[in-house]
Amino acid sequence: MTGYLRAALIVAATMVAPTAGQAAGTLTVAQSQDPASWDPVDTFLISWGQLATNVFDGLVQRGPDMQLKPALATSWEMLDGDKRIRFKLRHDVTFQDGEPFNAAAVKFSMQRLLGPKGAKGPQQSNYTAIGSVEVIDDFTVDFMLSRPDPVLLTKLAGYGGVIVPPQYIAKVGDDGFAAHPIGTGPFKVTDYQPKVSATEEAYGGFWGSKAKLDRVVYRFIVEPDTQVAELQAGRVDIATNIPVALVPNIQKSADLRLDSITGPTVTVLRFNTAHGITENPDVRRAMIMAVDRDSIVKIILQGQAKTVTSFQSDLSFGFDPALKPVPFDPAGARALLKQAGVAPGTPVQLDFRGNDTTFREVAQAVASYLTAVGLKASVKPYEMNVFTNDIIPNGKTGEMFQFGWGGWTFDYDNTAYLMYHSGEHWNPYDKDTTLDGMLEQQRTMTDPSARLKKLQAIADYVAGHALELPMYNLNTIYGVNKRVQNFVPPADNRLRLNDVTVD
Amino acid sequence: MIGFLARRLAQAIFVIFVVTLLVAWAVRLSGDPAVMLAQGAGSVTAHDLENIRRGLGLDRPFSAQYLGFVSGMLHGDFGRSFMGGTSVALLIRQALPLTLLLAFVSLALSLLISIPLGIQAAVRRGRLADQLIRMLSLVGLSFPNFWLALMLVLVFSITLGWLPPSGADERAGLIMPAATLAVILTATNVRLVRGAMLDTLSAQYIMVARGKGLGERAVLYRHALRNCAIPLITYIGLQFGGLIGGVVVVERVFNWPGMGSLAFDAVAARDYPVLQAVVTILAAMIVLVNLATDVIYGLVDPRISRE
Repeated sequence: MTGYLRAALIVAATMVAPTAGQAAGTLTVAQSQDPASWDPVDTFLISWGQLATNVFDGLVQRGPDMQLKPALATSWEMLDGDKRIRFKLRHDVTFQDGEPFNAAAVKFSMQRLLGPKGAKGPQQSNYTAIGSVEVIDDFTVDFMLSRPDPVLLTKLAGYGGVIVPPQYIAKVGDDGFAAHPIGTGPFKVTDYQPKVSATEEAYGGFWGSKAKLDRVVYRFIVEPDTQVAELQAGRVDIATNIPVALVPNIQKSADLRLDSITGPTVTVLRFNTAHGITENPDVRRAMIMAVDRDSIVKIILQGQAKTVTSFQSDLSFGFDPALKPVPFDPAGARALLKQAGVAPGTPVQLDFRGNDTTFREVAQAVASYLTAVGLKASVKPYEMNVFTNDIIPNGKTGEMFQFGWGGWTFDYDNTAYLMYHSGEHWNPYDKDTTLDGMLEQQRTMTDPSARLKKLQAIADYVAGHALELPMYNLNTIYGVNKRVQNFVPPADNRLRLNDVTVD
Repeated sequence: MIGFLARRLAQAIFVIFVVTLLVAWAVRLSGDPAVMLAQGAGSVTAHDLENIRRGLGLDRPFSAQYLGFVSGMLHGDFGRSFMGGTSVALLIRQALPLTLLLAFVSLALSLLISIPLGIQAAVRRGRLADQLIRMLSLVGLSFPNFWLALMLVLVFSITLGWLPPSGADERAGLIMPAATLAVILTATNVRLVRGAMLDTLSAQYIMVARGKGLGERAVLYRHALRNCAIPLITYIGLQFGGLIGGVVVVERVFNWPGMGSLAFDAVAARDYPVLQAVVTILAAMIVLVNLATDVIYGLVDPRISRE
């Protein structure tokens, strides 16, 4: 019967023309997730940054190198002892429906973000240092700060800081805007089918380097295997979600290349510092010494990651090249465990997110390293939502647990405060007033170099107390058809495709 | 007959009601949609999560949330997705026809193959053809559907380049998902047709038909097949629920934007309104198909509706 079926299939298949190549000037991107809402104040999804960075601009923006540069503001200066930021705005900018961009649009966008509409979304709390916005003239606008925020400029390059069109939103309402967005960016959204696809076309009136492509089509494809199949079949030009296991599939194909870059997410194994044997810093130190992280990166992650010494990547503000990793030393680990009075065969449990197939292998490797120094290590997978919403915040983990964190600001404050400050949602175990003090202090510092030192001191303190086993910074891996030119994948996943061309 | 229908209908409504209560309750047992909405964000605080929960109406008691969902459904208002506030009705309007298309095409394909093969196997009971057909059906049964799906993609999309690996934007995109489901269905259906046919072929009226000098084709397809229709219809009705289950996996692999994909995403994101609506509609469909089966059964065999 399968024979008949196959025959029928082949007949049916031959009636269909081979899949046609894309029209010139169209780039097709496979995207894991639908952003669902295009409204910048509604969302935190990575997929929003992948689709909407083409559509919207902030006053400032970050290039692929993560450095801040002017966007809708051409310059800015701190006034009144850092209590006021004055932005000079770019002239001759229009929204994609022709509405002019000016200081009133900036004021409207910030009031929307900081008002009742913004309160319903996850973006507002990043921007509460902005007390009020004052229009000086059509192209000058002042932000009055209610408290110092050293990361504010970086945050203004973030989702919540983009400028939205006041007249258009007044006309179509918040729901209309969320479904049919208008911005000042190089591409405008011309078609959007929830869960299926989105199409963006070049906006001829863009103020900067105009889009070279006519069109970008995003197809929402959840399964990485399916993304790769579409890439191999030549129906997709860029696949945005390539897990390490599928890297060889891309490497094998003559038409495809891998673009692998520093990703925003750092993975560590955090310790249960409140209970069990991991309450003892020496035991934690021994467990760090027991695990050969270089081999894990080289063999399991096929080199698509970098080991880290603190909970941040090398692109992060607060990164300290002088902080050296704890060397792999199983003999030293065994001695330290013995000294701490840990009997051989003492059980330890490593909790992780079960849907993370790459990490499953990493977890098993870590467990065998721990077993090699005399502990009895087991791994326990959890469904992601249960894990992040119950097991971790309620302090129900085993001795160690996987934690991946992507600081989109690329500033260590973001991660460090939420991980180590007492009482934070994702910090069930640590209560350390010294650390709390350091974390609070850096938030008030406006001198970047002093603040950098403080952040480095925090990382050093955390390493010294062995609060976590620093693992690695996994690369973001894109599979790209070789016909795509000038695609520079950004470390923050925010795709800005105006310079991209296709052969 | 009317009393029978009314009883069955009342049962169906009760079952659907219980399903709505179960799904609304079960979906809230684990996980937090606010966390899913904020995933990938760097600096989400407990305060942000509370804001998001309030925005989604999750601060209300369960009874209020459930009653809101049921009364919305009764008024044809399916609510809005937690992910971006898209209308659930719109999502279902896009997804439901695609799932029905996939389900009916694979069912039809499967019947088209399994009826002649099943009959042949029954007629040639114990002979080579029968053994071959039964063996192939066992092989078909043993395929995990996602594996079969990936193999089809490998052969027909990547190696041969004939068919699109995923999506519903081209008509050819239907071939592989339907074929995958049909293989699994056919494997069981062949055995079912064969079994039903064997029972029927030993009946006296078949001997009579043969005795009348009717051709073998007329005996098999006009007399025998009609009489095995009752168990076949029943079984196909029951199979519908299982088919929907298979659809979820197959839709996912082929990125077919139907109800299965919708349900899968909604579970992962804890998107309560979408999940509640999808499960309720699928449950209602399964209940209605079973109801229709009962009714057809009753029509074909009047003894049943009198019981």
